[in-house]
Amino acid sequence: MTARITSQRYAVDDFTQALDLCYRRGWTDGLPVVPPTEAAVQAMLDGAGLEPDTQIAFITNRQVAINAEKVAINAVMAGCLPEHMPVVAAAIEGIADPRWGYHGPATSTGSAAVLMIVNGPIAQRLDFNSGDNLFSPGWRSNATVGRAVRLVMRNVIGTLPGRLDRGTFGHPGRYTYVMAENEAESPWTPLHVERLGCRTSDSAVTVMAALAPIQFYNQLSSTAAGVLGTLCDTMRYPGQIGQPNYCVVLAGEHMRTIAADNWSKADIRKFIFENTTNSVAHFKRTARMPGAVKPEDETATRPLVQSPDDILVVAAGGRAGSFSCFIPGWASRTSSEAVTVLIKERSA
Amino acid sequence: MAGFEILDPTVEPRRQPLTYVPRPDSLKGKRIGLVENTKFNSDKLLRKIGDILKTEYGATETRMWRKHNAGVPAHQEILDEAARSVDAVVAGIGD
Repeated sequence: MTARITSQRYAVDDFTQALDLCYRRGWTDGLPVVPPTEAAVQAMLDGAGLEPDTQIAFITNRQVAINAEKVAINAVMAGCLPEHMPVVAAAIEGIADPRWGYHGPATSTGSAAVLMIVNGPIAQRLDFNSGDNLFSPGWRSNATVGRAVRLVMRNVIGTLPGRLDRGTFGHPGRYTYVMAENEAESPWTPLHVERLGCRTSDSAVTVMAALAPIQFYNQLSSTAAGVLGTLCDTMRYPGQIGQPNYCVVLAGEHMRTIAADNWSKADIRKFIFENTTNSVAHFKRTARMPGAVKPEDETATRPLVQSPDDILVVAAGGRAGSFSCFIPGWASRTSSEAVTVLIKERSA
Repeated sequence: MAGFEILDPTVEPRRQPLTYVPRPDSLKGKRIGLVENTKFNSDKLLRKIGDILKTEYGATETRMWRKHNAGVPAHQEILDEAARSVDAVVAGIGD
């Protein structure tokens, strides 16, 4: 006997009334949602082979258990297909992981969004965009999976602006902030294999509490050091003290230039780590650290992150254009760190 | 078109009883714990509050603990030590 769907039901006459109800109850992100009927929710659960009462995650700070039924309802509302449900469930597991530290990034005035990086065969199969217009509208998977996670945060975990979400600016990525790694063209080890030691045939999603992407340009250099030198110079100054992670997204032209010099992702991380330090004097002059500048502050340096491994290198973005970007993480290493979770697909 | 039903996407938070320990009538002769949340200047703010509690309210001593970060509750070690060694606790934010 399988468990039944137990959520409260509301009778409506038609689509317009359903939508009106969702708006009045505060269940949407501002955009219209797909009415979550029982049939659609059951199909969503079946997409991941989950029972309605299966607990996907528990948010300790909020004392909220997130079960599959509520995730499925919100995934339907976001416009997901049943095939997306395993990705949404894995991302929810990720943001509930103590290392991600839900309460901080979800609540803080610092306004993080949940950056999601999808890896493995599922990315291509479900047409997650990893190429041109990486963060643009137009791809159902990128658009709806990120939206589903945000609706779960809103409707299940209570992350409501003005209440338990106190963001100063918020973040456009809170509608959705999803990319896949371009594994088909990347010369490098995929992110999930690096982080989990899993197989390339596994699929995974990495969640990172993230600020906005910052693009940089280098059309001049034909070497790895040249391209990454520009990146480091751009990264260093917006850098704050103690960001937990940076995600560096290398698009087609830069990817090919760096690969032509035979640099691995580990080489890239090491170079970035070593070339993004700032002096204590700089931090003090720009009021990021307290106190007067002392002579020794000119030579004392701080790295951008604690370890090269805190830099996530991802091959993604358009084939054309001498641009890549970096995405700073939110807050500090003790507050939140990126988490990678295997996607449990339903066995056929 | 026939009507249909939609499902509620929200949950009711788990309700749990929360009882406060009795407040001390006076801080005279009491030991005060200060739980600092790692935010910039939160230690200074709490130290100042601790000084006021000693000079103006007769508390005998203060002791400070530091949480792992601002987004998590005080960890078990703090709770255990505070329960053993102080009579009242002040927790604060430094934003």
